[in-house]
Amino acid sequence: MNIEEYISSGVLESYVLGELSEREIQEVEQMAANHPEIKAEIRLIEDSFEKLAFKTAVEPNAAVKEKLMAAIEEKETPIIAMKPESNSGWMRYAAAVSILVAVSASILAYTYYNNWKNTEAQLTSLIAQNQQIASDYNVVNQRLDKIENDFNVVSSSAFSKVTMKGTDNAPDALADIYWNASTEEVYLSIQNLKELSQEQQFQLWAIIDGQPVDAGTFNLTDGLLKMKNIAGAAAFAVTIEPKGGSVNPSLETMQVVGNV
Amino acid sequence: MSKSKQGIIEQDQLVQRLKARDKTALSYLYDNYSAAIYGAISRIINDEDVAEEVLQDAFMKYWDKIESYNASKGRLFTWMLNLARNLSIDKLRSKEIKKTRKTDDISNNVYNVESENLIHQNEESIGVKDLMKNLREEERKIVEMVYFKGYTQSEIADETGIPLGTVKTRLRMALKNLRSVLGVG
Repeated sequence: MNIEEYISSGVLESYVLGELSEREIQEVEQMAANHPEIKAEIRLIEDSFEKLAFKTAVEPNAAVKEKLMAAIEEKETPIIAMKPESNSGWMRYAAAVSILVAVSASILAYTYYNNWKNTEAQLTSLIAQNQQIASDYNVVNQRLDKIENDFNVVSSSAFSKVTMKGTDNAPDALADIYWNASTEEVYLSIQNLKELSQEQQFQLWAIIDGQPVDAGTFNLTDGLLKMKNIAGAAAFAVTIEPKGGSVNPSLETMQVVGNV
Repeated sequence: MSKSKQGIIEQDQLVQRLKARDKTALSYLYDNYSAAIYGAISRIINDEDVAEEVLQDAFMKYWDKIESYNASKGRLFTWMLNLARNLSIDKLRSKEIKKTRKTDDISNNVYNVESENLIHQNEESIGVKDLMKNLREEERKIVEMVYFKGYTQSEIADETGIPLGTVKTRLRMALKNLRSVLGVG
């Protein structure tokens, strides 16, 4: 194809209109690079389209330019940038101060709320501890009272001590009675008695005029146990009875016995 | 108009300034080229609001894509015009426009372009009608389809049944015949 035919085919117009494929574009550009007359013709075609466009120009609405420039300004301006303007500068500062105050107040409110919550939790914990200490104190106090009382009984000359020793049933068993003959008060101190089942209890008997008299039931415990008042006992003994005690002692279960 | 509008700043210089992100260059570009570009857009898109939207999009693209313009491949205006034409055609084919266009079939319109349809012309610009007077009927049809409906030459060939080669030579002849009126060459 000679140059003249190539130009008259209209391929250059298609090129300028942007209607060619990538391969065709490369071909035209190759031809233009090799043939100055093709390059010149392309320039003439471009010029024709350009002149035609200017001849048939239509003035757009002036607002379009404003919108365009604003859109570009907006696109290129970082969103957070605040340009202080002289007439509204104080407003911006006022707004900034307001925001600062609001943010500070929020932070403080949050901080103090948290502090208050923490304090409240600590207070609740302290109240609970206090109650526990008070409760413990009462327990200790009661035990102290009892120990004082026990000590008074044990050390008092008004009480006589009766040692009850183990029988053949329980040779190692041992318990003491503190008995005030004038007031008839009886205290029991367990030194060594065996464990019983849930259905059983120990029962203390006083032997008065050769007859066993019930002096109360008991379980294993520390310290002195206050038993029933007894007058004129000659001996004391402990048997194992069904829970709640018996009217008559089961002598075959006797654990300890001691004469006054 | 053409002399004042095509401006004092040469296209090469303008391109350099646009690539340097000079907004005054964009403003200058708009002042000097928007009417020519808008003419091309508004001949394809009849809806004024949509046409203006496309115009704005086109200039946004010129600003954003100026790096992709290669001066060795052609003039700045050719690049701008083709970009605007493509945007217009894309818009025309988008659903929103299609709806309004359905009752207004393109192919029927193309052959009925009369001088009274060629609205919006600048007072100073010579009428398109006057330009077209210099063309033969068969050439004028092709120019009208390219210029007023944004058809590609292949689409014209498909639409009219005229072989693509003939469409191309007719457009070439039409443009050649317009050169003297346009003061080209």
